[in-house]
Amino acid sequence: MLDGLSTSLKDALKKLAGKTVVDKAAVDELVKDLQRALISSDVNVKLVMELSKAIRTRSLEEEPPKGMNVREHVLRIVYQELVRLVWASTEVRLEPQTILMAGLQGSGKTTTTAKLARYFQKKGMKVGVICADTFRPGAFDQISTLCAKINVPCFGNAQEKDALKLTREGLASLKEQELIIVDTQGRHALEADLIREIIDLNVLTKATHRWLVIDAALGQQASEQARRFHEAIGIDGVIITKMDGTAKGGGAMSAVAETKSGIAFIGSGETIEDLERFDPDGFISRLLGMGDLKALVERANETLTPDDVDVNAMMKGKFTLRDMYKQLEALNKMGPLKQIMGMLPLGNMQLPEGVYDVTSTKMVRYRIIMDSMNPAELDEPSLINSSRMQRIAHGAGATPDEVRELLKYYKMMQRTLKGLKGSGGGKFNMQRLMKRFSGMQ
Amino acid sequence: MFGGLREKLKAARDRLGGSIEAAAARAEPVEETVPAAAAPATQPVSDPGPATATTAPASPSFVQKVKTLIIERELIVSEKDLDDALSELEMTLLESDVALPATDAIIGSVEKNLVGRHRKIGESVDDLVVHALKTALLDVLGNGFDLREYITKHDRPVKILFTGVNGTGKTTTVAKIGAYLKKEGFTVVIGAGDTYRAGAIEQIAVHAERIGIRVIQHQEGADPSAVLFDAVEYARSHKIDVVLADTAGRFHNKANLMSQLEKIKRVMKPDLVVYVDEAVAGNDAVTRAFEFDKTVGADAVVLTKADMDSRGGAAISIAHTIGKPLMFLGVGQAYEDILPFEPAKVVDELLDGGA
Repeated sequence: MLDGLSTSLKDALKKLAGKTVVDKAAVDELVKDLQRALISSDVNVKLVMELSKAIRTRSLEEEPPKGMNVREHVLRIVYQELVRLVWASTEVRLEPQTILMAGLQGSGKTTTTAKLARYFQKKGMKVGVICADTFRPGAFDQISTLCAKINVPCFGNAQEKDALKLTREGLASLKEQELIIVDTQGRHALEADLIREIIDLNVLTKATHRWLVIDAALGQQASEQARRFHEAIGIDGVIITKMDGTAKGGGAMSAVAETKSGIAFIGSGETIEDLERFDPDGFISRLLGMGDLKALVERANETLTPDDVDVNAMMKGKFTLRDMYKQLEALNKMGPLKQIMGMLPLGNMQLPEGVYDVTSTKMVRYRIIMDSMNPAELDEPSLINSSRMQRIAHGAGATPDEVRELLKYYKMMQRTLKGLKGSGGGKFNMQRLMKRFSGMQ
Repeated sequence: MFGGLREKLKAARDRLGGSIEAAAARAEPVEETVPAAAAPATQPVSDPGPATATTAPASPSFVQKVKTLIIERELIVSEKDLDDALSELEMTLLESDVALPATDAIIGSVEKNLVGRHRKIGESVDDLVVHALKTALLDVLGNGFDLREYITKHDRPVKILFTGVNGTGKTTTVAKIGAYLKKEGFTVVIGAGDTYRAGAIEQIAVHAERIGIRVIQHQEGADPSAVLFDAVEYARSHKIDVVLADTAGRFHNKANLMSQLEKIKRVMKPDLVVYVDEAVAGNDAVTRAFEFDKTVGADAVVLTKADMDSRGGAAISIAHTIGKPLMFLGVGQAYEDILPFEPAKVVDELLDGGA
């Protein structure tokens, strides 16, 4: 997720970091690079122009604060302006409420509805779902199947054609539930009768939240669509879906700017658990490669017992095969490695692509091989010579080549994690820089 | 669709025309001095007599005539003249969701076409710009794809596999194309290859029932290759013209799902792989079209949800990336809301609409 934008933003910043003098030309170049990066991430062109103008004027006119050189000053401005773009995070309270889902066709409303139901259910709320999509064939089948999997009551009727009537009945039948999510049919802003329908639904349900679901791949059209939806029902939160593809979600960012709301959640996978709360600071940090430890820790707390992975030890750079074993065990619960790594503050460090190439089947093989090692070897992998390798391979029913591959993978991981700790970026250490920023906002 | 892009292009075109006119106006006085300066050098060749020097402006010699024709009557467009207008055109394209690489390519082509170009006496600036833009756009959009003709010429059953990322509208498109082909007089069977998403089989089954097409389906979670293989076998034994194979949406960066698609392709051996994407997609359209084309290939493209967006830049981005023809546009929620795409017509409409 975010790789492309992240890489190009980081490249732009790196270029600036490499400059001996930060003058007008350097700022201009940076702004131009930023523009290209943002536009190719689908951020609204007008928004990009405003943003880059602000960065340019501020960089050239504002005096850097004491103790900060021009370069850090410019980076800080870039960071601040980017955060401003997606500043607000929608507050999500755990109290009785009704949520109305709105969005274009195929943006992922139904899937997200089920994910949200799961999210609130995990937080201990009694959740009910109303399927007000009376148009798309199979919509009720889809949501009721998903709800049945998580034991959430789902109200709907594939035969009923009147969404309002259906919703009214649904509200009555689910009044025992604390939190009701109303899934609606996909519509776009030019379909006047459907817009009228959602206005009526909003009035009928007296929805506490009206969340707009936006596909991460949505382009320049996002602002316009968001504006129309906002005019119709007053959007107070945006959910970006399909962030597990390669799309950068710039359209959704523009939608947030347009509705002056915030991003409530991010959907990033096909299973019902793949929904993340959104934190703008973390989002931009991740974007610029500064890591999002908060999200990582939250995720870890939710899914893992402390024994599973010792993030602290990892952050300190102490990483043995034992840690890797735990990590592999935890991996299924935490989600893909790449996602986790994305939350770590890797700064401008380049990760070897191979780190991610290890597929889950391979992970299973690795675990089996590690099962054949003795404790000493797990703690001190450098002990493993060719005769030990033979023994391990024999015990695990693997070839020595596989053992060698595992060790190679381990070394790669270790090097990666070491880089987190040290001043890997040399004079341009993003992590240190981040600390300074957060103190100054 | 394309209405918005048309208006914007018109503005950009006027702007381009304007800056060339401006360049011409600037060039005029300069050019007047050129023949005068060149005159002494040419005089010995044409006529050594001093009388000619005075009569030259009134009745120029042959050489001078040629010179005037070349220098005065033609305009050489320089890069500098176009800079402003081109960057405006660039913004226009970007705002219309044409992805950055495709935009760069179009701008490059317009620039190459115009810079250093000699404008002839009879040729208007407008023609010049329209021609350059038209060439650039047609270059990118390529030729359309006539499905009817393809099916007529091809051995039956024609097997068509639909691919694409999640939520672009594959299932709806399959139903629409089914209805279209049925209207054109072909017999059709649909393979319910989306066995992953809850409700997908019900969705395609309801669609098929409404348009009166047989669906071959297994239960949720079945192997899609097997479903689609059965659909092909069914078509073969019942002498059906076309098999439309729906598949589950998948992201191009999920290796296992993409290899599942490869397997489907191996098993059912489709004659056509149709890549489905939405008109509202932004820059990612380029990335995913490329990845899909790379793994399973794509013979044609269907662009859905074109009614949401009057600009349709994604069409240009995708066509530019994989160079495959655009076959249909989906323009609404009803079965008949699907239009065969004819690039020459669209480009003509785009550029002549405002002229």
